[in-house]
Amino acid sequence: MHSLKLIYAFLKMNIQMSLAYRADTVVNILLNLMWLGWELLSLNIIFSNTQTLGGWGIGELIALLGVFRLVNTLMIALIWPNTEKFNQSIRDGSMDYTILQPANSMFLVTFSRITVWRFWDLILAIILIVIGINMSGDLITAPQILTFILLALSGIIVIYSLWIVLIALTFWFTKFDNNVTILQALLDAGRYPATVYPVWLRVIVTFIIPIAVATTIPLQALRGELAFNQVLIFFFIGVASFIIASRVWKSGLKRYSGASS
Amino acid sequence: MTPTISVQQLSKTYEVPEREGGFSAAVRSFFKRKYKDVKAVQEVNFNIEQGEVVGFLGPNGAGKTTTLKMLSGLLHPTSGTANVLGFTPWELKNDYLRSMTLVMGQRNRLSWDIPAADSFLLNQAIYRIPDDEYKETYKELDELLELEPLMKKPVRNLSLGERMKCEIAVGLLHRPKVLFLDEPTIGLDITGQARIREFLQEYNKRTGATIILTSHYMADVTALCERIIIIHHGQLKYDGGINDLSKKIAPFKLIGVLMENADAHDLSQYGEPVENMEDADKKFIQVKADEVTRITSRLLADLPIRDITIADPPIEDVIEQAFNA
Repeated sequence: MHSLKLIYAFLKMNIQMSLAYRADTVVNILLNLMWLGWELLSLNIIFSNTQTLGGWGIGELIALLGVFRLVNTLMIALIWPNTEKFNQSIRDGSMDYTILQPANSMFLVTFSRITVWRFWDLILAIILIVIGINMSGDLITAPQILTFILLALSGIIVIYSLWIVLIALTFWFTKFDNNVTILQALLDAGRYPATVYPVWLRVIVTFIIPIAVATTIPLQALRGELAFNQVLIFFFIGVASFIIASRVWKSGLKRYSGASS
Repeated sequence: MTPTISVQQLSKTYEVPEREGGFSAAVRSFFKRKYKDVKAVQEVNFNIEQGEVVGFLGPNGAGKTTTLKMLSGLLHPTSGTANVLGFTPWELKNDYLRSMTLVMGQRNRLSWDIPAADSFLLNQAIYRIPDDEYKETYKELDELLELEPLMKKPVRNLSLGERMKCEIAVGLLHRPKVLFLDEPTIGLDITGQARIREFLQEYNKRTGATIILTSHYMADVTALCERIIIIHHGQLKYDGGINDLSKKIAPFKLIGVLMENADAHDLSQYGEPVENMEDADKKFIQVKADEVTRITSRLLADLPIRDITIADPPIEDVIEQAFNA
């Protein structure tokens, strides 16, 4: 409950910061309107060229695009700005204040910056997922939708955890500004269904680079292609990666407090 | 009663990468790093009672900030223990973090682009301060620091002194019982310094908070602290009353004499002459405290003295001597 209150407080502050400079605000609104137009246009192209890719129907592809965009929104709205803030706070020492605040520092580092302009990305992603599921036909059952949501969340947590591990490495290396570039490169591999890749690459994409966990896997759940134990395994991967990330973060903090001056 | 802050054998050693200057040394150091141990704090012991205002003194790099960082919980010590308000600081328990504050004069907590009031509210949320308590604390801080006119401007438009007031206030919203202040007056002009000083004095009186502060400005310390701790090369050199400092570290007195035809007389046979004193009419010599009576009577007997004063040397000089000891 208190976490929600804090997110709300951060959100409010970020809106205030976004509105602080007038010209900047106007440019941002215009740019984002242009972006939205471009996005809708490119979606229209996809919709009007009904095709299948790697055995996936158009509805499923649209849902996949939606999930991918959800992950992308996470990147743009939280991960990119907070990485920038994080790297800067390590350099200028304001990380000290974050550590001394009576709240989970991982939580503070995750939500202190929010790119509020991209809220429509989130809405667009959800609309795409809903349309995609609808277009996939009547074959989809409620349990399939539920496992889909569950695994999509778990996949997002996997990516989030990967991010936490990458930025926590900064505690050891002091300067590691490319931390998110690596993550973005990994994510771009998940733009297409994992089944379009050859088998060996699919294994890498699924298990070593966990982006497929966030995109392809939930879609497979939606199509009812996953057995119950597979659903459990992928859900467990989400939980486990969060626990590992929290551990790495904690020992990173310890390292920071042992080495910095 | 257990002391609010108790520190035993606290030590901190850093590993600092080290290399020669030059290009080839930089390449070599990429493959093979050499580290040098820097002993920032060595086996420091002290206790501080509730309500005390203690000044940490020492030149740059003496270990003051490192000690403050360990006490606030940012740094793990290499060895030794510390206890603040019953907590081990570096365990970073939320209950501990809610009852102390660390204000660093050279670092910003407030967001640059928005008015301080907005950052205050964020801190209210993070520290879970109930609305009525927040209002009350804010009112009190406003009374002491005259915050209200500063609250509406973006922080970037505030002067350094105004910003420091806000930085201190945001650190006090949760009514901490222990304040660690690292150079809270750095860069401020004389009036700015005096304001912060008066505020801290009043705050300590009103709330009974325990305060440790470091400062380069001797005036901060002499005005605020009855007790000082001097750290040099990571070691505790002195811990005690500011008035006793001269007795222990520099058991000297200053004798000032006003004479007819002053330049004709050489005082160096009586004690070490001291130049550039405020009182330009008098000549000053520094003598050991236990020789004051003997030398004074010799001076009175030998010279045409019109006036004579005996005083403690200025605190700045004493501390200077303590560093060099």
